[in-house]
Amino acid sequence: MNLWAYTIRRLLLLIPTLLGLTLIVFILSHVSGNNVILAEYLSPKLTGAARAIATQALIARFHLNQPIYVQYFYWLNAILHGNWGYTNTAIYSGPVTTAIALFLPNTLMLSVVAAILIWIIGVRFGVYSAVNRDSVSDHALRVGSFTLYAMPIYLIGVALIIVLGVYLKVLPISGVVSPTMVSGLSWYVNGISYPTHIIIIDAMLHGAWGVALNAAIHLLLPAITLALAIVAGLIRILRSSMLEVLDQDYIRLARSKGLSERIVYNLHARKNALLPVITLFGLTVAGLLGGAVVVETIFNYPGIGYWTTQALLDSDVGGIMAATLLFGLILVVANLLVDLIYAFVDPRIRY
Amino acid sequence: MEYTLNVSNLKEQFYTRRGIYKALNGVDILLRKGEILGIAGESGCGKTTLGLTIIGLLPRNAVVTDGEILLDGKDLIATLREFASKEANNPNLRHSENIMKKLNKQLINVRGSRISMVFQDPMTSLNPVLRIGYQIAETLMVHQPEVLAKRRLARSKVKDDDLREALKLLENGADEQSIKAFAETRQLEGIEEQLLNIWRRNDLGIARKEKMILSLRSERLGGFDMAVLQRVVSQGRIDGWMRIPGLNRMSKAVLIKEGNTKAVELLSSLEIPNPEEVVKMYPHELSGGMRQRIIIAIALANNPELVIMDEPTSALDVTVQAQILDLLKHLKQRFNTSFILISHDLSVLAEVCDRIGIMYAGRIVEVATVDAIFNKPLHPYTTMLISAVPTIKGGEIQGIGGAVPDMRFPPSGCMFHPRCPYVMDKCRENNPQMKYVEDEHLVACYLYEGQKGEQN
Amino acid sequence: MNEERAKRWDNTKLSIRVFLANRTALVGLIIVLIYVADALIMQFDPGLLGITQVNTLVPNFTNPVPLPPSWAHPFGTTFPGVDLYTSILKAIRIDLFYSILVVAVGAVAGAVIGVVSATVGGLLDETVMRITDIFFSIPYLILALAIGFILGRSLMYMSLALALVWWPLYARYTRSQTLSTKEFTYVEAAKASGVSRTRIMFRHILPNALPPVFIQISLDLGSIMVIFSTLAFIGFIANAKVPELGYLTSLGLNYVQTAPWAVIFPGVAITVFALAVNLLGDGLRDVIDPRRRS
Repeated sequence: MNLWAYTIRRLLLLIPTLLGLTLIVFILSHVSGNNVILAEYLSPKLTGAARAIATQALIARFHLNQPIYVQYFYWLNAILHGNWGYTNTAIYSGPVTTAIALFLPNTLMLSVVAAILIWIIGVRFGVYSAVNRDSVSDHALRVGSFTLYAMPIYLIGVALIIVLGVYLKVLPISGVVSPTMVSGLSWYVNGISYPTHIIIIDAMLHGAWGVALNAAIHLLLPAITLALAIVAGLIRILRSSMLEVLDQDYIRLARSKGLSERIVYNLHARKNALLPVITLFGLTVAGLLGGAVVVETIFNYPGIGYWTTQALLDSDVGGIMAATLLFGLILVVANLLVDLIYAFVDPRIRY
Repeated sequence: MEYTLNVSNLKEQFYTRRGIYKALNGVDILLRKGEILGIAGESGCGKTTLGLTIIGLLPRNAVVTDGEILLDGKDLIATLREFASKEANNPNLRHSENIMKKLNKQLINVRGSRISMVFQDPMTSLNPVLRIGYQIAETLMVHQPEVLAKRRLARSKVKDDDLREALKLLENGADEQSIKAFAETRQLEGIEEQLLNIWRRNDLGIARKEKMILSLRSERLGGFDMAVLQRVVSQGRIDGWMRIPGLNRMSKAVLIKEGNTKAVELLSSLEIPNPEEVVKMYPHELSGGMRQRIIIAIALANNPELVIMDEPTSALDVTVQAQILDLLKHLKQRFNTSFILISHDLSVLAEVCDRIGIMYAGRIVEVATVDAIFNKPLHPYTTMLISAVPTIKGGEIQGIGGAVPDMRFPPSGCMFHPRCPYVMDKCRENNPQMKYVEDEHLVACYLYEGQKGEQN
Repeated sequence: MNEERAKRWDNTKLSIRVFLANRTALVGLIIVLIYVADALIMQFDPGLLGITQVNTLVPNFTNPVPLPPSWAHPFGTTFPGVDLYTSILKAIRIDLFYSILVVAVGAVAGAVIGVVSATVGGLLDETVMRITDIFFSIPYLILALAIGFILGRSLMYMSLALALVWWPLYARYTRSQTLSTKEFTYVEAAKASGVSRTRIMFRHILPNALPPVFIQISLDLGSIMVIFSTLAFIGFIANAKVPELGYLTSLGLNYVQTAPWAVIFPGVAITVFALAVNLLGDGLRDVIDPRRRS
């Protein structure tokens, strides 16, 4: 009944999940031997004798000559203290935490914009499709969402690039901002903007509205790609959920009360039809994060996903493991939020 | 004789992949003002379909091929007949859905205000994510926003002296008329029903009621709320600037809030304990019997002329069933509303109905007073139905031989002839018309041909 | 008895009618069969379509820049001078094979774990559920990427990684199917009449719980192929000559402004397959779901 009690219980359930998540990453780092953790934590800048000394220090620090569960404990300790090791890729070389600070804001920006697009498009079209079922527009929407659903996300991106970027030439197809716009700016150095590292926000903070607009336009194609890849599923689920709800007795009662069709659809039906969609939002976040990896790669958008694929191409185990852990953490938090929102929206859940 | 509802020769079919089901095959009903008419029959005879057709809530694969439904002389289903005359043989589902939407639009001012319906399963009939109070307030707001507005305005205008005087009147046993007159002379229209509703509550002591009446005077209204209420009173509905998105939501919120207080009064009049708490609850917090009372409250909220109750007690256990039936008897006395009570259970109908109609295979085959149906049943089917009712005295229960016919291929002539022990040759060929055998007693059967002979 | 049989036949007829009435499902079935046929030809007699070197792309470094579709190259070429038509035909075999591998390994492991977990119950069940929870806490694409990276960047390890990511889904699904079947009255009846536990399991529960699981699994083939190719697209495969649809697409990516066909054809080849599987699945679900039949 009490939302607070529910929240606390849900937070306690987080502990085993987080332990499991770190355990998976830890095991992955260890299946091929100690050299992996050394590769993660040895600064790539060290050479020669200094490197040998640092290696010894790491073996001592992570107790690499002791049983594996002891090692897990020391590794977890390092993670909790913000020591996530080093990454060494073509786009960034240095501590993982700094890489995250640089790349994560961009990924969050992209995901949030995509999520808003998904919500607006998905809810509108999903409800419309169910309400006007079997009409021409419903059929068109179904064919469209079915096709999008089957398309690999990279193909959606490439198709948008070809249509909007190459033939119509209305949107830029790569990067976060036109280089000419930002040359010589004091707050934009070596492709990194300060202080938030999200160029749109930084530009607005510095009053550079032209740059902000340019960056926003650069964000459009990646965001639309990501949104289209995921919205198809939402439309399909919402349509069937809405159709199911429209068959319910309480909708019949609502109609028998003489409510207008609009109120029946937009209040009585939609509110119920969205409940199963909310529970699936965790999956949507997983899709967003996974999709971000592909989209950022296609559009050379400097986020966590781009960094992850660079780490893959450059065989940088530190980057891969850190990204896995980070994506896991984001998803865990997102799922927590989803559960809390669900408890808030559905009165039946607060037992 | 004045009739609330006049259904004549109603015919309806369902188109499915397995074939065309002929659900209604010429139903005739005459319903008087303030009367409770029971409809009985086996499952699958079309009882529920009949109820849903009267209120116009049909699935898209239903087609009304013939007949009229007149509510106070006005035909409700002309649109459906028109569609059937165009696409009777092969109805397009898409077109049919559009027709249903058109019908929904036409009936918006009828449903909930003039005809309302109580459905079979109270567990699934309330919206799980909306509060009880809102679900009642909503129907009030849609159909009589001006009543809500007046109530709220009256409370903001009323003075302590007025309330004390009204209380004195009530304590001296003033009737409804004089309270109404009192409210009118003080220009406090809308206060009278609040006074009376509080005064009539049975769940509260007299001291508590006095206190509630004296505290009716509320804080002054804000400028926006005042503007909304005054406009609703003058226009009789939500329109003009109140339909601008955003303002619309705020205007409705003002009315819904008042609807909640009226919902409390409504619930207390239906003997629901703790109505103030109940309106704040969600459906899952209430028992089945409670939920059915809420649904009845929703149905009665706007004092409709006709309430259709489709098996209102079938999903409830026996003690709750008895309570609901008591409530119905009580309602019958208090409201001047006509009821159609649909049930497969004759004993339920016997308890509360004035007349009972027996339905078989999409037709009403006999209509008579409760007494006549039980003591002097004429149609062979009625006789068999009654002998199938278990009584407390015991005695052998007679089942009805055979099964309900497959309505894709209904029998020729009288549809009961394959199961009828008195079947004659002409029963197989012709369908008997409804005829008066006595005053108040109609039957469609050749056994009584020529006994009185006068067609309805 | 006769009536019973007639009724069942009536039901089967209705099922077939429902499926056939769904034209799109029929089209889906045909497309899937075409892909399977292509894979089989590539496996057993590639010469039938004039193809040699089934396992590798054939570059043409004298003319590496993508050429538009022509008689010689019906789908054009991609970098470095690779003919797209023959490459796609080769790639379908590879993609189909590894996708089926993912589904088979992941699904069999998942189904077995799910059934055992549901049957044994108790602590084991709880543990299995917690483990699946943990797998669900990492976005599948990233987890597959990390596992595959550790195992080694090859097609085989990539599909193994995907199977490792996928089994929890099937374990969950099988578990819930088994549990709900256990609740059915006929299982209760069998229990009440003293049938042994193993017999109930193999005679009554599994035959009823597993078919929907297998249908679900085969329907995931489309999505798996999409994800498989996506991993290849972002550069998972180190071997530069393997005919794989995602990898083929990535070859043309740098030429997207001048040679859009180089990315469109391989991409469409994947999409059409996934679409066909989904359409087929929707048709089958219509048949299974009694509510959608009428």
